[in-house]
Amino acid sequence: MTEQAPTATVNQKSKEAYFTASQGQLIWQRFKKNKSALIGAWVLIFLILSGIFAPFLTPYDATVAGRDKDYMNGAPQIPQFCDDNGCSWRPFIYTTTRERSMATNFRWVSTVDDSLDGRRYVQFFVEGAEYRYFHIKANLPGEALDFEIPGLTFNTRLFGVDKGMIHIFGTDDLGKDIYSRTLTAINTSLAVGTIGVFIAFVLALLIGGVAGYYGGWIDSILQMLTDTVRTIPSIPLFMALAAFIPDVWSAEMRFFFISMVLGLIGWPTLARRIRTHLLTERNQEYVLAAQLCGATPGHVIRRHLLPSFTSYIIVDLVISFPYMVLSETALSFIGLGLKDPVNSLGVMLQNVTSADVLLNYQWYFIPVIFFIVLVLAFVFVGDGLRDAADPYSDAGK
Amino acid sequence: MLQFSRFVFIRASLAIITLILVSFIVFTLMEMVPGDCAERYLAFKNSQGSVISLADIDAERIRLGLDQPYLKRWGLWIINAFQGEFGDSCIQRLNISQLLGQKFWLSLGLCLAALTLAYAIAIPVGILAATSKSATLNNSLRLVSYLGLALPNFLLALMIMLFSTMYFGNSLTGLFSKEFRDAPWSYERVMDFLAHAWLPIFILGWSATAFAIQTVRALMSDEIGKLYVTAAAARGVSGRRLMMRYPARHALSPIINSLGFDLNRIFNELPIVALILTLTEAGSLLIEALARSNDQQLAGAIIFMLTASIVTINFLTDIILALTDPRIRRSIVG
Repeated sequence: MTEQAPTATVNQKSKEAYFTASQGQLIWQRFKKNKSALIGAWVLIFLILSGIFAPFLTPYDATVAGRDKDYMNGAPQIPQFCDDNGCSWRPFIYTTTRERSMATNFRWVSTVDDSLDGRRYVQFFVEGAEYRYFHIKANLPGEALDFEIPGLTFNTRLFGVDKGMIHIFGTDDLGKDIYSRTLTAINTSLAVGTIGVFIAFVLALLIGGVAGYYGGWIDSILQMLTDTVRTIPSIPLFMALAAFIPDVWSAEMRFFFISMVLGLIGWPTLARRIRTHLLTERNQEYVLAAQLCGATPGHVIRRHLLPSFTSYIIVDLVISFPYMVLSETALSFIGLGLKDPVNSLGVMLQNVTSADVLLNYQWYFIPVIFFIVLVLAFVFVGDGLRDAADPYSDAGK
Repeated sequence: MLQFSRFVFIRASLAIITLILVSFIVFTLMEMVPGDCAERYLAFKNSQGSVISLADIDAERIRLGLDQPYLKRWGLWIINAFQGEFGDSCIQRLNISQLLGQKFWLSLGLCLAALTLAYAIAIPVGILAATSKSATLNNSLRLVSYLGLALPNFLLALMIMLFSTMYFGNSLTGLFSKEFRDAPWSYERVMDFLAHAWLPIFILGWSATAFAIQTVRALMSDEIGKLYVTAAAARGVSGRRLMMRYPARHALSPIINSLGFDLNRIFNELPIVALILTLTEAGSLLIEALARSNDQQLAGAIIFMLTASIVTINFLTDIILALTDPRIRRSIVG
């Protein structure tokens, strides 16, 4: 008897915790049980952080400004601790020099200097090229509307070498560091995805919300519109829209336009789901009660209906994210999306298509691995979240 | 019977309304492209050495009917479009229906073949995955279908081409061998086509299959848990007969319903695959029309025809569903 009492209280407590837990807590509890989704979440967080802190984590500027003209189409340089000349406590790489002269028959020939003098030692927290955060520069039509927020300027980079440059993922045909480009590309692609998802989300919320709340003929007309947009194959439509971009546009304008286009076409699926949910939810008693108390439609939608399915919306957003990234990639890949000097995953993938790269410069494929891992991580997390958000998923257990 | 023909009529008119809406969107987009056909044509003439004045551009506009009001031109365009007539291409100065002609049907054939391949694999595999208790099978299938999404098909195409070039010395591009490209249809040409077409079909079907397996598996596992299956098992039906006669038939309806959107997804991938495999016969015409030359007439015609085939498939699946699914049949006949 004396031993049973505490167990009963513990049981009682855990039951109480279960029944009083918020929707968010319940989802998190179920999500934690899903191993693959959890791993996906960690990978995703890691990739997102490395995208955000790309300027700090990468040694060089990802554009032509940061190119290494002594090491073009260069293989990855892996830092090592020991070689024939002995070991060092600091990892190092070798110096590669490129030369073209009478002796080499006037062709570029690279030589690796693996003597002690040729060692380049890896250093941490080195001073590198400047980069800025929160820097906004608007160039609107009209002098008075131009403004510039300087933001914060840094020049510390995580690592570098004492002389020359280091390229742990190799370099491309212009001598740009592929490691720096990859991390910057993750940043760009995530930004495009975020803006696209945001626009799609706002549109879906508006159209789906109105259709679902009012029902009737408004719903019929909006459904017709949604279905029409859904029937048009999106990539060809993207292509048609992207073809509007005049060649004179700057890389930034292009970037915003592409994100906008992605958002403007991506809304129907989410809108449909919001509408279906609202249609079932709006006939519940609590909505009627609120309406009888004199609440306005906007108030009912905001305060009563939206909170009832916030978790579903979040899940849907995570699921639609990889599609945005994939669409951006496809567009850039065809050459209608982002272009150099902007680095995005699509631009990076476009670089691997030549046979030359396949046969001789396999390190161009490193960004492809990052791309696949990023999409997979999103899919795993999205799936895990969907299972976790479904209140019936563990009803059978 | 009367109710059924009424149902067909309503569905058909809905499909046509959708097409008209689509045509409006497409036409508006075409109009928004900076510069019109007249300017583009005369710019081309200008580059050939003739001297062009503003009056010439205006005259060309009147000749092409571009001075008419917007809605009137849209009306004309849509009426012609339903008759399969899209006017002349801006850049190439050729009749679009002639330019597209066979190419469009070839592309559509490729996509439909990919769709068929996807479901031919997905239905048995999906049913197997839903019924089997093996965790290894389920997990590996899940991984494969995730990869189908994450591994871009152009990468897959590239790798297959690379291996084939290295080991067989044949790059597998195009849809026809050189000697058959412009030849009339014959037995040899068909064989040649089939020898080339399997690769694009496989690549187009790759992610579609992954997606379809997921769908079939989810639908089947939903149905298997239901009481009517238990009841049938209790009556002594078992094994494959049980699966095929009860849950599989229920799971089939939503799949037929979504065929149109599956086709949509495959159309999405067509331009990219066509670009890599240099299928000049198929979707790369679209890329050509948009990316290289900004040919809005041609691009509009292609998008309209793609959408028209999806709408047609949706309409057909609605009819097929009404014929095969007794539940839907009853809701129509009342």
